[in-house]
Amino acid sequence: MNDTLFAQLSTLGASLVLLFGIILLWRRSLMAYVRAFQQQSAVLAALFVVVGYFGQAPELYVVAVILFALKVILIPRLLHRMQNQVGIGYEATPYLNVASSVIVAGLLVLLAYVLTRPVVLTSTLPTRGGLPLAVGLIFVGLFVIITRKKALAQVVGFLVLENGIALLAVLGTFGIPLIVELGVFLDLLMGFLVMQVFIYHIQDTFESLDVDRLSELKY
Amino acid sequence: MNFWLLLLPSLLAALLAFTIRPYRAFIGWTSAGLSLVSLGAALAFVAQALEGGPTPTWGFVLGPLHLPDVLRADSLSVLLMVCVAGVATPALFLSPGLWGHTRYTPTQLRRYQIFTNLFIAAMLLAVSANNVGIMWIAIEATTIFSAFVIPLKLNKASIEASWKYILISSVGIALAFVGTVLAYFDYVSRGGEMELALNWPVLKAAAPLLQPEVMQLAFVFLLIGYGTKVGIAPMHTWKPDAYGESPAPLGALMASPLFAVAMYAILRWKAVIDISLRSNFTNNLLFTLGLLSLIVAAFSVVQTTNYKRMLAYSSIEHTGLICFGFALGAPGLFAAMLHLINHTLAKSLMFFVVGDIEDHYNSALIKNVQGMAKLMPWSAGLFTVGLFTLIGLPPFAMFTSEYALFHAGFALHHPWLMGVALALLAIIFISFIKHLTQMLYGSPPQDTVNKTQKWGLAILGINIIILVILGITLPTPVRTLLDQIVAIVI
Repeated sequence: MNDTLFAQLSTLGASLVLLFGIILLWRRSLMAYVRAFQQQSAVLAALFVVVGYFGQAPELYVVAVILFALKVILIPRLLHRMQNQVGIGYEATPYLNVASSVIVAGLLVLLAYVLTRPVVLTSTLPTRGGLPLAVGLIFVGLFVIITRKKALAQVVGFLVLENGIALLAVLGTFGIPLIVELGVFLDLLMGFLVMQVFIYHIQDTFESLDVDRLSELKY
Repeated sequence: MNFWLLLLPSLLAALLAFTIRPYRAFIGWTSAGLSLVSLGAALAFVAQALEGGPTPTWGFVLGPLHLPDVLRADSLSVLLMVCVAGVATPALFLSPGLWGHTRYTPTQLRRYQIFTNLFIAAMLLAVSANNVGIMWIAIEATTIFSAFVIPLKLNKASIEASWKYILISSVGIALAFVGTVLAYFDYVSRGGEMELALNWPVLKAAAPLLQPEVMQLAFVFLLIGYGTKVGIAPMHTWKPDAYGESPAPLGALMASPLFAVAMYAILRWKAVIDISLRSNFTNNLLFTLGLLSLIVAAFSVVQTTNYKRMLAYSSIEHTGLICFGFALGAPGLFAAMLHLINHTLAKSLMFFVVGDIEDHYNSALIKNVQGMAKLMPWSAGLFTVGLFTLIGLPPFAMFTSEYALFHAGFALHHPWLMGVALALLAIIFISFIKHLTQMLYGSPPQDTVNKTQKWGLAILGINIIILVILGITLPTPVRTLLDQIVAIVI
């Protein structure tokens, strides 16, 4: 009984997390990007608590708290501040239009199901149903980074990719060892801060956040 | 104790540069001096490894963090420590701001000192970590720290280079983490959860029980991930930009030790996954990407117009060769590790010299650098020796390791692959010679700026001496160490 409930909750959570990732593909304003990332992280934090409760892994509560502080409060706030300083941007002309993007995202999730088949088959975990969704989210994050032109949108794509990895870790292994988890958070925060610094630099020197202007270096 | 002496000096130097502002020359000299302590510790580890006996480890237990052996120094780690510390020392001695004239402001020099030292510390941690998760964290940290140093002079080109570098490397390294998680997942599904499961010896011991299908998937992610950091084609696109725009000592650190550290990560994982798969899966992947790297390198070297980017393409070439070596069994691995040592020596030498050339001519374009032989004979000589080494001319060391590598390839019946590789090396050879003659001869431009000689470059004589010694003979300690590494990995 408990196991079925656990399985259902974890698959539901994973689907929600993936859905928030796909939102990035049909919204245009960077504001909406940040909000989608924030909501996705909130669901992810809740999922950590669920897995911690059913999987009897109390250290996941600690991770959930840090995740919430970092990805739901701190990073979205920094992203908003960045937007206020560089102006509210729109992803006006991504390299691929909305309809095709959503179709590609569907195909990517399908690909994730094919790739993770051996993983799901060998597993006996109640959470295994969510694993393909996590890998799908990783692919969607990659896709966002590749097809968006605004540097800020690429950063959000990267954060979503990171969420995909966190989802994979919590569903597949009930959390990686605590020391590694803490290190990952530290890296994520520092990496984000570096990207933030560079976004200001790009805005200052190129007077735009379109990365297709970054095309000086050849041969 | 030894681990402290290895890791603390660069952290101390970073702290010193952080607390004392504005930047003064003595900070640079202190951090250069401290790096000698790291180098000494690394050499002490080598001596310990050559003696045999138990592998040194260090760890602690603190509340929920139960880490009895978080750091470990087996022969493979020890070799990499020397590669990192051995380049870090000259890099810090030849840093801008130590030798009088510099193009940088004190604020920029302060930033340089802080982040270069943190970068070195992260690399040293990556190779001494026992836990592959911590290894990953340290390698990711190297990206972050080095990204701060590339655009020391803020301009369009350097910002473009660092943005590409940080985005591509962060995404790549994130994929390596997916691979790590998949492997851990596999381990946990077999043996239940364990705090120490990500320790490399534990993983390797458990490898025969792991599910091959999952490990295959994990290896693809790991190879793409760490391969991005190494610059294996087709994930190499950030490399020419980043090498071309960074200050020379950082270029040297990125092109030789960082490259070696990322290769090391691939090798660690390959060792575990090969045992689990019992097939040629990893070797075939490495052959494919290695060949692709050689092709990309050959055709990019032909058309390059910038000598710093030329070195980046040469680095992609050597990536390809080392990938081949990893895939060619025990003799290939021996040759590849020797090649890694030689590459570290030669490529760091090149970047230091190139920094001096760029200071003189104020340009990184080959067509603007003429008459080097007349204008700066000493640097021109060092540059020529380094370049001859990189294209594999005897009596320099890369000839030996490339010979051993191709010997292993032909012995294992890959004549076609090796033949194509040799043809590509010939293309690279010819275009390097062409670029070199262009730079050495001709009339020097009238408006070259500064004539100050950096006498510090004399320490690069050490690199040349080692390269010649390794080219003529293989000293017993080196052979023993490499044999130990082969025994650990295979």
